[in-house]
Amino acid sequence: MKSVQWIFVPILVVASSLTLLYPNFAERELELAVRKEFKELPEETRKDVLSSFAERWKTDYNPKGDWQIEPDPSVFPEQDYYLVKGRFITSAKINQLSQENQELILEPKNKLRPTWVEEYIFGGRPLAIRLGLDLQGGMRVVLKGDFDDYTSKLKDSYTKEIEELTRKKGDAALSEKERKEAQDKLKEIESYFELTPSRKLAELEKAKLIIDNRLTNQNLTEPQVRIQKDQDSIEVSLPGVSNSSQILDIIRNTETVEYRLREPSDSNANSRGTYHDAIELEEMKLMNEGRREETEIVKFQNIVKQKLGKDEQDRFLAAMEKKYNIPEKYKLYVKWSRANNPKASLLPREFVVLERAISLDGKDMRNARESYDQNRLSYYVSFSLTSQGAEKFFDITSKNVGRQLAIVWGDKVISDPVIRSPIAGGNAQIDGEFGQKEATDLANVISEGALPIPLNVLEMRFIGPTLGIESIEVGLKAVLLGFALVIVFMLVIYRLSGFVADIALLVNVIVLMALLSLMGFTLTLPGFAGIILTVGMAVDANVIIYERIKEELASGKHVSAAVAQGFDNAFWTIMDSNVTTLISGILMIKLGNGPIKGFAITLCWGIITSLFTSLFLSRMIMDILVNKLGVRKLQIGFKKLESKNV
Amino acid sequence: MFDFIKYKYISICFSTLLIAVGFGVTFGKYGGFATSLDFDGGLRAVVEFPENVERKNLEEYFSSKNLEAVLVLMDKDKNDYQIDIGLGSVDQIKELYVERKGKDSVEAKQASAIDALIGLLQEDFKLEKKKILSANQVGSVVGAELTSTGISLLGLTLFFIMIYLSFRFQFKFALGAILALIHDLVITIAFIGFFQIKPSVPIIAALLTLLGYSINDTIVVFDRIRENAGNLRDTFSQVINLSINQTLSRTFNTSVATLISVVAIIIGGAVELYDFAYVLTFGIILGTFSSVFIAAPLVDIYDTLSKRWKRS
Repeated sequence: MKSVQWIFVPILVVASSLTLLYPNFAERELELAVRKEFKELPEETRKDVLSSFAERWKTDYNPKGDWQIEPDPSVFPEQDYYLVKGRFITSAKINQLSQENQELILEPKNKLRPTWVEEYIFGGRPLAIRLGLDLQGGMRVVLKGDFDDYTSKLKDSYTKEIEELTRKKGDAALSEKERKEAQDKLKEIESYFELTPSRKLAELEKAKLIIDNRLTNQNLTEPQVRIQKDQDSIEVSLPGVSNSSQILDIIRNTETVEYRLREPSDSNANSRGTYHDAIELEEMKLMNEGRREETEIVKFQNIVKQKLGKDEQDRFLAAMEKKYNIPEKYKLYVKWSRANNPKASLLPREFVVLERAISLDGKDMRNARESYDQNRLSYYVSFSLTSQGAEKFFDITSKNVGRQLAIVWGDKVISDPVIRSPIAGGNAQIDGEFGQKEATDLANVISEGALPIPLNVLEMRFIGPTLGIESIEVGLKAVLLGFALVIVFMLVIYRLSGFVADIALLVNVIVLMALLSLMGFTLTLPGFAGIILTVGMAVDANVIIYERIKEELASGKHVSAAVAQGFDNAFWTIMDSNVTTLISGILMIKLGNGPIKGFAITLCWGIITSLFTSLFLSRMIMDILVNKLGVRKLQIGFKKLESKNV
Repeated sequence: MFDFIKYKYISICFSTLLIAVGFGVTFGKYGGFATSLDFDGGLRAVVEFPENVERKNLEEYFSSKNLEAVLVLMDKDKNDYQIDIGLGSVDQIKELYVERKGKDSVEAKQASAIDALIGLLQEDFKLEKKKILSANQVGSVVGAELTSTGISLLGLTLFFIMIYLSFRFQFKFALGAILALIHDLVITIAFIGFFQIKPSVPIIAALLTLLGYSINDTIVVFDRIRENAGNLRDTFSQVINLSINQTLSRTFNTSVATLISVVAIIIGGAVELYDFAYVLTFGIILGTFSSVFIAAPLVDIYDTLSKRWKRS
């Protein structure tokens, strides 16, 4: 082996690995952005906020004083940020700082300044190894898709077609062929309601995309969204997040925007007029008798005020639909509006009956934006329609001039303007009695799209940030201690050769960590376990080699021959044992998920790096020692073994 | 040179005894494996308690009711606690609720375990409904994942290793290696049951590590057997014995080195990793034992048997 010529290979590998790992250990600078609006708060509030931030900084965030902050946290910074300097600033920490000081810190603008390695070599791409929730703390939520609800909504959107096709199917006036076509089409539509696993997966993928978007808007550092196929669920990991309910609400928000036509004026043919009129009549009667509390709308308002939840509201509406014999074709909704003054709260004010069929839904709308109307002193939302949506919208508005077209947001009717003339062009706006926040929310729902499936919380797990950081510190110390002890052990047993093995071991861990950070791997406790096993396997490979060399020396071979023979004899043993472990590792990556996968990834890469260090690097160093530097005595074990024919 | 083959039946009996005792104690004394929320599911509620309620009060409350609950403080300022109740205490909660409401109350009859838990907490701490921030019957996330993918994963892994070993060695070695592997896993699982270690993600990691370590260990011995098998003077049993003895110092040194790094976790005080380290410490000792006393002797037994079959 021409070792000396190849020496640049390991040197290059180690040098580039160390460069890659630099951002993990270097002192980092974090720009903790502050809110500009903070200055507008009353002085008293400002003082309170700053002093509680300073207090927390000392006791919670930085009790050991490892980090520096400029200016002092009790002072509002001149520039737009506090500059925090220190090592090991995790995203959990950044999130914790931002979430617990929302009045002061503006999450979206926080910035961890890139180190020179990231800046100049990788064009700003962050390289530090990401830590899993179990190591840095945070929240993990598993959300299960509610596909029953999904199907019933889907059925609603096809009501009109189904009705039409059913009519055609039984229409004797039509030709045999046309009836057959209608029947086939009907079957096809029905097949939409049967959810195959792949359909479910596709819906989950859509939901994942939308959750991803919503979380990006929350500007959390490193949120992770994963689909768990076998459970029809989505797992969301939020490092460092402890104030959960608000973010959870944002993730789970399934509100949609739809256009539905109001019942036609002759819908309630028996009593002539509309169902809406029938309800109004009853309500008026009660009002006139002074029994306001007994009216349905006041009862409904009470359900809302007591926050009994959507289920309770749905039950109430279903009971009313029954009471007034509202046919399947229509559905009862509630129109929400404000009392005369614009600051009054948005409450249910009136029952409206809409067609069950959805005329136009969120999929047809895009690019929504909220704007302020000077004349009416309220916000509105303008949006454009997709080309298909524009066609549909023109069709509906031209066929139904004079009828009311209601806009349903979630389960609220927010406005129901009368169609005065057909609307073409693909631009529209929604006027409601919006405040700014409502208008923004509505615009977001339209632009991002609605969550396709409602999600229920299956489980929520919380790992306290302090617990996480402590556990990583202790865990890291323990692993380092183990590592140091192994190094000493190898030195004691194998002396000079042990030293070579130690170098190989160090290089192994450095290269492995560099590979993991290059891949953007998220390190978790099981991943840690994989690294420990890798260290074990790397030690093992070296032990196997040295025991072989020892045997060769014992049989009386020359040192350089014994070394060469030892490596050759050990080669297949090491290959066999590593390949079998690699097989199990690859299968774990392919089939396992979560913890198993994390473990397997570190293990597999660990095997590859340890093959490199034991079979290539160790050999090269031993070769140089024996053949170039003229080492003649290799002490392996406690018995001094020398070649007899030196 | 120590004659390992001579004592093969003793070592196999010893292993069988270990398995019997392990599972006997697990199911006889404890009625099964320890439960954990991650693995078996259970109840989880996040509740905002009044300011005067502290962790100590809650711990007393649950222990007085004989409920095993794990408490995590989620939000200091709001006094939010996460309460985890394992499957083992779920029936107890229902009983308590029925006791409270009276046997014939419809409310108690219809209540699910989670309703019962909320009902009890609401009454005993005078909580409004909105102070219960979340309450779920938690599914067994890790457990389900393992039962569904774990077994097929293990089966497939064994299958592929078998193919590789049959190709590189002979079928009898593949068989021996796989039986030794199953042996290690079974005994380790018995150990987990014996000491009632709670199944968790790190425990799975430990089992997987053990799998990797154990295969590795066995292969090294087998490799030497294959190498020595060319020597025609010795019987197969003698070859096995010689090989085990030749690799003994390697086996010992490697085990010590690996043990050092695992024991360091316990000494280093990484509490989160204790269970992981215990299982792994046991597993490494066991893996070493099995590669010497179980795997190769099993190959020998198979070899003897197959020769006998051929003759008859």
